[in-house]
Amino acid sequence: MNDDGAPDSQPGLRRVPPPAPPAPGRVRVVAPRSQARSVAAGTSVSQEVAEQSAVGEVMVRSLIRSQLRLGLVVSAGFAAALLICWTAVRWVPDFADWRILGIPAPWLMLGVGVYPIIGASAWLYVRAATRNEDRYRDLVEGK
Amino acid sequence: MNPAIGYTALISVSAITALIGFYGLRISRTTSDFYVASRTVPPWWNASAIGGEYLSAASFLGIAGLIMISGIDALWFPIGYTAGYLMLLFFVAAPLRRSGAYTIPDFAEARLESTAARHVTSVLVVVVGWFYIVPQLHGAALTIRTTTGLPAWVGAGAVVVIVCLTVITGGMRSITFVQAFQFWLKLTALAVPAVFILLQLHGGPTGSGAVPAGTDFFPAAAPAGAAGTYGTLSLMVALLFGTLGLPHVLVRFYTNPDGAAARRTTLIVLGLLSLFYLFPTIYGVVGRVFLPGLAAHGAPDATVLLLPGRLIGGLGGEILSTLVVAGAFAAFLSTTSGLVVSLAGVISQDLLGGSVRGFRIAAVAAAVVPLGVALGTDSLALAGSVGLVFAFTASTVCPLLLLGIWWRGLTDAGAVAGMLAGGVLCGASMLVGAQLAPDSPWRGILTQPAAWTVPVAFATMVAVSLATAGRQSPGVARFMSKLHVPERPHAAPGRAR
Repeated sequence: MNDDGAPDSQPGLRRVPPPAPPAPGRVRVVAPRSQARSVAAGTSVSQEVAEQSAVGEVMVRSLIRSQLRLGLVVSAGFAAALLICWTAVRWVPDFADWRILGIPAPWLMLGVGVYPIIGASAWLYVRAATRNEDRYRDLVEGK
Repeated sequence: MNPAIGYTALISVSAITALIGFYGLRISRTTSDFYVASRTVPPWWNASAIGGEYLSAASFLGIAGLIMISGIDALWFPIGYTAGYLMLLFFVAAPLRRSGAYTIPDFAEARLESTAARHVTSVLVVVVGWFYIVPQLHGAALTIRTTTGLPAWVGAGAVVVIVCLTVITGGMRSITFVQAFQFWLKLTALAVPAVFILLQLHGGPTGSGAVPAGTDFFPAAAPAGAAGTYGTLSLMVALLFGTLGLPHVLVRFYTNPDGAAARRTTLIVLGLLSLFYLFPTIYGVVGRVFLPGLAAHGAPDATVLLLPGRLIGGLGGEILSTLVVAGAFAAFLSTTSGLVVSLAGVISQDLLGGSVRGFRIAAVAAAVVPLGVALGTDSLALAGSVGLVFAFTASTVCPLLLLGIWWRGLTDAGAVAGMLAGGVLCGASMLVGAQLAPDSPWRGILTQPAAWTVPVAFATMVAVSLATAGRQSPGVARFMSKLHVPERPHAAPGRAR
């Protein structure tokens, strides 16, 4: 996609670049394969989304659903991890008596150990949410 | 403590705040600059600023104080304060940024197409903000009294005056720089003395830092019971869902350039908070051994301020004390100014037409009312009183945001009914609970009500929305795609497709 301005990038070639026209957008040239298709070719998929046509509506709904499902799944996982921490600290005497470098395990767990779990959940979520959006973009661009 | 420490700390923090504030003044010119810094703040700056704004008196002083009182159970507070951002990231950050609204009431109006819903939201946001400022002023009063011996009102008054001047002259743009700086100041102010304290303890018995023989730094947890279990659960509900609705946190997300940047910012915020919250625990644990009188005399929140001077003598101790006191002032100033900016945005847009002059008048109103409340009340445990504000936002603004963003069926009537039900129940039960005898079984349930008021608020909102399904706003489908569809679907720069 970055073939605009390619001549300028050669060093030592002292040539005044022609006044650059506004960078052309990417133009897709497609021959209609059949008569039936050419009827619908007037509207692109992204236009459909913008205009809230039935197809665009379905795609947005499915994006929202997948993002919501992702948020619920990751937060349920995080809640489960917190529950396990709480149970270990509160109800498992062996764990409560265990000391690492003189510090009781419950203090280490709640004072330090929970934070990497929070960070990992957040990182996983951001990756997956971005992937959902990329997938939606691909769908809209018709790839 | 040497009073010079308190004066030096307060004056230097105020001077630096003003300096950065006036430097920022030169690049803020229009109303849009004032409100959201033109939405051009890069994620690292923004994340530092969010951290700076969020880490309040409750985090800087309150957590160590709670560890002095209740031991390991207090560690759930920083976990909740941090994990609240996780919920914000999962359910609110990106869609709210894309909504294009400046404030939470703006969001309510755009989503529900109802000015009534907007006004109810505005009132709740202002109430939340006022009650969140009060503990900051209590913290300032405590710090001034402890470090300089001046009357307590001087601390609260100084914070309000400095904040008003900064906000009125600079607006949000300079606030962003000030907040980002103050995050790093707060982190340094806790971390450096903590390292010296640990070295002192490790270095063996030298004078006042000698560890009494047979000392156990880590008290065993109180025996588990039903009341403790309910308390922890309710606290976690309040902190996890309360962060979603804090007005000063949300307004920061509007300064991200797009939804993906809002997510990246939140990720960085989580890292910064996790780093910060390692340190208050150290103060609490060491303070229990070396300052045992504080908890008994009703000033456990002063632990962080007094511990460096108690353990490290001489000039080094005074320098470290100055650093800690400066960090504490940074905490009061940054949280208060963040709240004042967001409240001023709400008040001026609703009542004063959204002009720059209206914003300045509103800023003064936003700061002076809580000053009156703070001067008329006594300081509770700081972390505890901030926890109550979280419970209130979790029962009011949080359901509005979550259902508004994720459920098409929410109507204006449902939103208003749910917010009123949650707000009235939560407020009433805190007031009633505070009057009960300490040994009453109902006291725990009423003073920490989030575990039941949050579900009630959600249920009311859903039920009333279903009953009034005819009132769904006509533009809901369009607004939903605005919230959730990623920006610029064709050209994400730097991303080869």
